[in-house]
Amino acid sequence: MFNMNPETQKKIRRFKGIKRGYYSFVILIGLLSLTSICELIANSRALLVSYQGTLYFPIYSAFHPGTDFGLDYPYETNYRELKQKFLNEGGDNWLVMPLVQYNPYENNAQNNVFRPAAPSLSKGHYLGTDTTSRDILSRLIYGTRIALWFALAFTLSVYALGIVIGCAMGYFGGLFDLIFQRFIEIWSNIPFLYMVIIVFSVIPSGFPTSTRIGLLLFVMVLFSWTSITYYMRTETYREKSRDYVSAARIMGASNLRIIFRHILPNALSTLITFVPFTVISSITAITALDFLGFGLPPPTPSLGELLKQGTGSLRTAPWIVISAFGTLVILLTLITFVGEAIRESFDPKKFTIYK
Amino acid sequence: MTKKTVLISLALIGLTALNGCSGPKDKQESNSLGTNNFEEVSGYYEAHPEFFVFRDIEDLPANLKWEDGSHLAEIGSESAKKGGTEYRRLQDFPRTLRIVGPDSNGSFRPMILDYVTMPLAARPPDEFDFYPALARSWAIDQNNKTVYIKLEPEAKWSDGQPITTQDFLFMFFFYQSNYIVAPWYNNWYGTQYSKITRYDQHTFSITVPENKPDMDSRVLGLRPVPRHYYVELGDDFIDRYQWKFPPTTSPYTLDTEKDLKKGRSITLRRDKNWWAKDKKNYRYRFNTDKIQFTVIRDNAKHFEAFRRGDIDQFDLTLSQYWYEKLPDDDPDVNSGYIQKTVFFNQHPRPTYGLWINTNKDLLDQKSIRVGIQHASNWDLVIESFFRGDYKRMKTSSDGYGEFSHPIIKAREFNIEKAQTAFAEAGFVERGDDGILKNLEGKRLSFTVSTGYERFQDILTILKEEAEKAGLELIIEVLDSTTGWKKVQEKKHDIHFVAFNVGLEMYPRFWETYHSDNAYYQPFLPNGTLNPNRKIKTQTNNLEMLAIPEMDRMINAYRASSSKEEMKKLAHNMTKLHHEHASFVPGFVQPGYRLGYWRWVRYPEHFNYKYTRSSTQLFVHWIDEKIKTETWEARDKNKSFSPKIETYDQFAE
Repeated sequence: MFNMNPETQKKIRRFKGIKRGYYSFVILIGLLSLTSICELIANSRALLVSYQGTLYFPIYSAFHPGTDFGLDYPYETNYRELKQKFLNEGGDNWLVMPLVQYNPYENNAQNNVFRPAAPSLSKGHYLGTDTTSRDILSRLIYGTRIALWFALAFTLSVYALGIVIGCAMGYFGGLFDLIFQRFIEIWSNIPFLYMVIIVFSVIPSGFPTSTRIGLLLFVMVLFSWTSITYYMRTETYREKSRDYVSAARIMGASNLRIIFRHILPNALSTLITFVPFTVISSITAITALDFLGFGLPPPTPSLGELLKQGTGSLRTAPWIVISAFGTLVILLTLITFVGEAIRESFDPKKFTIYK
Repeated sequence: MTKKTVLISLALIGLTALNGCSGPKDKQESNSLGTNNFEEVSGYYEAHPEFFVFRDIEDLPANLKWEDGSHLAEIGSESAKKGGTEYRRLQDFPRTLRIVGPDSNGSFRPMILDYVTMPLAARPPDEFDFYPALARSWAIDQNNKTVYIKLEPEAKWSDGQPITTQDFLFMFFFYQSNYIVAPWYNNWYGTQYSKITRYDQHTFSITVPENKPDMDSRVLGLRPVPRHYYVELGDDFIDRYQWKFPPTTSPYTLDTEKDLKKGRSITLRRDKNWWAKDKKNYRYRFNTDKIQFTVIRDNAKHFEAFRRGDIDQFDLTLSQYWYEKLPDDDPDVNSGYIQKTVFFNQHPRPTYGLWINTNKDLLDQKSIRVGIQHASNWDLVIESFFRGDYKRMKTSSDGYGEFSHPIIKAREFNIEKAQTAFAEAGFVERGDDGILKNLEGKRLSFTVSTGYERFQDILTILKEEAEKAGLELIIEVLDSTTGWKKVQEKKHDIHFVAFNVGLEMYPRFWETYHSDNAYYQPFLPNGTLNPNRKIKTQTNNLEMLAIPEMDRMINAYRASSSKEEMKKLAHNMTKLHHEHASFVPGFVQPGYRLGYWRWVRYPEHFNYKYTRSSTQLFVHWIDEKIKTETWEARDKNKSFSPKIETYDQFAE
């Protein structure tokens, strides 16, 4: 369907030529693929344990009670302590901890007191801890994963819905277009943020976290797809009246084939330039919602929640807000660079000048 | 009571009897005020002759023992200065100035009602007694369940009208009427009092249905409603009085035109002609001329406003404020600009703990509940969240002196004991995630909900610790209204909440433990639990406790008028409740901590035993001279000696 025609290849070449955007893209892809192995980067379970000649991989297996490793308690092993114990004993037992040896949920209170701790290399809290003594780096890693994937899922769903409806409106026109346009006008006048807050506040918070995130996504998509339809509708209108569409119709192509094989690929290039900016706006939206306390349910790690904590303890724990803000700035800057590069490389002006 | 006061009161009674009227109707006194609902009101009095009784002053029993609390020490400090402006914060602008009806029970109401207006007689903050407020003297006839009152003849409303018996008769009409849309008030004033008898303009008596050891406080705590003001009381009460400030007995009044900036600020002004301004127990209190409340929604901003000196005082009770945000070595503390104080008080403690719904699957088994008790690590919560400043609660009725059980303690955190208890209920094996499961593969998992966002971390600690014992707790943090609604509809598994308890002589049991508040038809005729029982919602029996033995004791307790018997029953009920294991006692806060700029002054001993907050009694004052001095010193980098003080005279 999306064959690499010479036009597209030219665009991609141009995109690669814009170094700032291209490298940002590579970094982002790298980040995205890293997020799928977060568990190996930041975790309180060990990567690998060798105990009495047997190898264990606790991260991707069932929990091991302390008794499995010669400890005297029946609950989950504390691998950091176990490592220390192995070192002290000096035997053949050994274990490897991940880079960040804390999971994003555990409260690692020093002296049993919950308070933000400054970044410390020796304790392994590279960016310090938040107000309830959770490792900030670990929370940032998992929070970024959720934010990125959430934004991607959001963007995909919004575009899928917007493109289908916009295309249908443009292609079929007439009464269908008229009615849907009025509906969209009404629908898009509902304030998005308020609706998310209202709808989300009536969802019982007893639901599992994944369901709640899914519902949040659903609600946000529900109120965000309308703007895409405008572009799609006009593009389709324009393409529909071109000769190649008439030709296809005369040859007996079905509506579906005409839309997906002929119109869509030609109409899509404008939309693609918007994608990075939609990703940005959705990351901003989810962060803002978290900041207000209406976003991802606690204790899900999230950038907005960290920002909120940070602004609450600006004087006493500036590292919280610096970490969260820094991450957000880096993330959004990278995506903006990509967006600018795409926009530039897809700029039709470059190709319509007769030489 | 001294002879002199008796003579004076008798003389006054004589005087008022002469010019006052003993007519039975509202009509005679309100006519002159040009009222237009006097017929309705007097009609109501007539229609309820058993409740509203009209007698002559000669009918007043002769052998009453009148009291006037004159033996009590004065409240407040002689060195208090009048004047100045106090700056405070409001988290939210009040939704109404009404003190009753929808939305009226907000956090601002104490400032126009509970803390400032005058009851008949008030509890002194150091002793379990009464000092006079609107009443000059009172007499208690325990046998006839009646309290006799003589009003202070000088007592006036803030608009200058005298306070008379009419205002108390009308109080019952007001709170019993449907106009105010307040069912709780309708019920309380309709059932907790059985009769008001008018003797003359300043003398009346109020009778209660049951002869309880603390029946005096039921009556003496009453606050009148201005009869002359509510002359147009009707169905439009809620809207009409939404933003009106009725005449009050409080020293602080407000002008709704000038002092009310909707959504932004409220200013209360001291009434310089307040009738009680030279009265004992009142003359050294309510010192600041103005109290300005500014709306600051965000807690972090509130703290910054305090640090800037825009707000005079800040509650440092939460550990993070006391230890980190305003530590003892903070420059402002070190140079003495801001002072820090710990004050230990005594008060029945709010019941912070886990309320287990015994009507839920698994939670109806005692061994599971005992397991949950042993799997809740409150000691760690106190140590890590409250930095060891709080204490573990023993039972759900701590802080009632001899009415609290002397020995019982909450069960300790103990993984082995928890696991033994869970094993009794069939939960022996641990699953892949470390959570116990029974033979059918059911996981040992419950939802712990709460409406306290600020205590979210407490639940996180409990959750992590419970997992060690193989118990999964799913945390559900709701906003306070939703959280409360959830438990009121009895939809919770386990809920973390506390009931605020007033200063009372003995704990209440009926509300929380009687089966009447758990189910409709809780028992079968043979005394066993009815399998078809229907849940009763909107009551405070959050544990869904239905034990015939408990019911029997509660009924005896409610009917009893012997202190000794009630004490014994209270102990037995506390014991039974402890054995039932449906409430996991949490923590008690032994006092409060405060940070305040040095121009805020407090009495020498700082505050009183039964106070819940430092400003509750208005014994503090603002010294404007010191304020100017402090700002000048700050400009010139001059410092004062730091003041960090602990007042533990009432530490338990």
